[in-house]
Amino acid sequence: MAYEALDFYDVDSLLSEEERMVRDMVRDWVDEEVIPNIENACREGLFPDEWRVALGEMGVLGAPLKGYGCPGLSYAAYGVICRELERGDSGLRSFASVQGSLAMYPIWDFGSEEQKNHYLPKMASGEWIGCFGLTEPDYGSNPGDMITKAEDKGDHYLINGAKMWITNGTIAEVAVVWAKLDGVIRGFIIEKNDPGFSAPEMKGKHSLKASVTSELVFQDCKIPKDRMLPGVKGLRGPFSCLNNARFGISWGALGSAQACFDSAKEYAMSRIQFNHPIASYQLVQNKLAWMLREITKGQLLAYHLAQKKDAGTWIPEHISLAKMNNVDIALEIARVARDIHGANGILDEYPIMRHMANLESVKTYEGTHDIHNLIIGRHITGIQAFTREA
Amino acid sequence: MNIAVLLKQVPDTTAKIIISGGKVDENSVSKWSMSPYDEYALESGLQMKEKNGGALIAITCGPDRSKKMLTDAAAVGADTLVHISDEGVSDSTHVQQLLAAAIMKYEADVVLCGKQAADTNAGSTGPGVAEILEATCVTLVSEVNYTDGKYITMRPSNTGSEKVSTQGTSVFAFDKGTVELRRPNVRGIMMAKKKNIESITSSDLDVNLNNSNINLDSQTPPPEKAAGQKFEGAEHVPIVVSKLRNEANVI
Repeated sequence: MAYEALDFYDVDSLLSEEERMVRDMVRDWVDEEVIPNIENACREGLFPDEWRVALGEMGVLGAPLKGYGCPGLSYAAYGVICRELERGDSGLRSFASVQGSLAMYPIWDFGSEEQKNHYLPKMASGEWIGCFGLTEPDYGSNPGDMITKAEDKGDHYLINGAKMWITNGTIAEVAVVWAKLDGVIRGFIIEKNDPGFSAPEMKGKHSLKASVTSELVFQDCKIPKDRMLPGVKGLRGPFSCLNNARFGISWGALGSAQACFDSAKEYAMSRIQFNHPIASYQLVQNKLAWMLREITKGQLLAYHLAQKKDAGTWIPEHISLAKMNNVDIALEIARVARDIHGANGILDEYPIMRHMANLESVKTYEGTHDIHNLIIGRHITGIQAFTREA
Repeated sequence: MNIAVLLKQVPDTTAKIIISGGKVDENSVSKWSMSPYDEYALESGLQMKEKNGGALIAITCGPDRSKKMLTDAAAVGADTLVHISDEGVSDSTHVQQLLAAAIMKYEADVVLCGKQAADTNAGSTGPGVAEILEATCVTLVSEVNYTDGKYITMRPSNTGSEKVSTQGTSVFAFDKGTVELRRPNVRGIMMAKKKNIESITSSDLDVNLNNSNINLDSQTPPPEKAAGQKFEGAEHVPIVVSKLRNEANVI
């Protein structure tokens, strides 16, 4: 069954033919391979390895990066890929976001020529999974005060510290980790078998269950000198990665929202109460109309942001607005969809509760909803409200 | 080896068909796709090319919108894309004449197509083209392999399946086979975008489309499905059994 997406304003007609072909490729794969298997993956709490292989074969990992075996697509195409993947599951989109925007991107932008040639082709093909270590147990919204540090020991670096909430951590071959060297944040490439490095999986999540989340632990982790990313110092490094990932999320969340809308519409049309489909009642129509309204606005926001990203006329605040808004409406749409489904909405026969629980994570990671409000608040007023210090 | 694959763009099997004024309203079709049997022909053509070398020529006869399907074919590996305008075409024999002329123009050694298109279900393209080309034709094939100058095909028979081999120019009309259809990938899509579509007309092919003896008078939608029946309680079992046996013919 070919999926027909809600596209009330025909926004996808603004995409190029190539972008639409990429969309259809990912869309068909999600319909055929992801949706039939996602509930099982969630119950078992694993990310199916064949999805890694398929993403590599389709050639969508690191979508907007050019050269070094990377796809070289537009940001609009990257957005569409995220949207189609997240219609399947936020955990699947998270895998692709982390691989492309958080692990491949810093190597591509800040890495040495040798690093790019060594890591990027194998990461684009999906052979090597990457992860990204910024957040720590005590430093989430405030990564600048991170504790993890690197020491220059002459012929090697020694890394000590811990990272938390790391998507793909346990299954990754390559970790891009941010640590302080003489008080300055720098990026380091850690490989799975480096001595003193371990990545235990975090268990017990009620959200993103088909995605692997881990801690990264560094106890006198010794790495060669050529593993530092030479091209960036300070928070600009991790933040530029996050900008790209957040861009992808602003599209991805619409995929979840569409999946919830589709299910709610279908359920409302077929569920009979008081002798008529509940879709014929005004309160339900009001909910469906609100969903369509918010999804359509979100689509226009995401599309225009992609144009700005491709044209290079964006600022980080543009991305904050889109990430914040689209995840917010997606989560609310999931909740309203659950309401329309009544008790059935809690079953995994329907995708609703899974998307809702996933979106609680998506609302928090990659800059919480509140932090994005503060970013925009600072943009409006010129006054930063993150800290009490001036 | 030049492998021609004949493709047709049809309303997607999931698209809603609306009849307006006794004819299918093409403007209301939300999605057009490659006819599913043609997908098997294309996949087999790609495998034949990979095994034996050569070029795959994807040919369609249809309106401008069908060019998109040729680009889709290029994304999975078609080398040459040929679009024949359907202007002046009024029946299947016209399409067959145009396709046969294009097959000769591009000097194809072997022709692969679907056993029928998912919209008209006429099933005349393969045999009709073979007739004009004076080529051998095998229908309902599930696979074709080229070895030692012979095409070896599998097709169903009334006792199971049969292996048929042919020599010389041959036309194979594909049923749904066991081969797995390949997916496009980003690299293929980017290459496809750069690929030129050769657009030709009946006059380019020196085909004179004669008056047709056939006219499609009208089209009607299938009858609406009757409402379901509901039975509750053990006393209804004999009625349900009799309905399943006599009306539904399932037991």
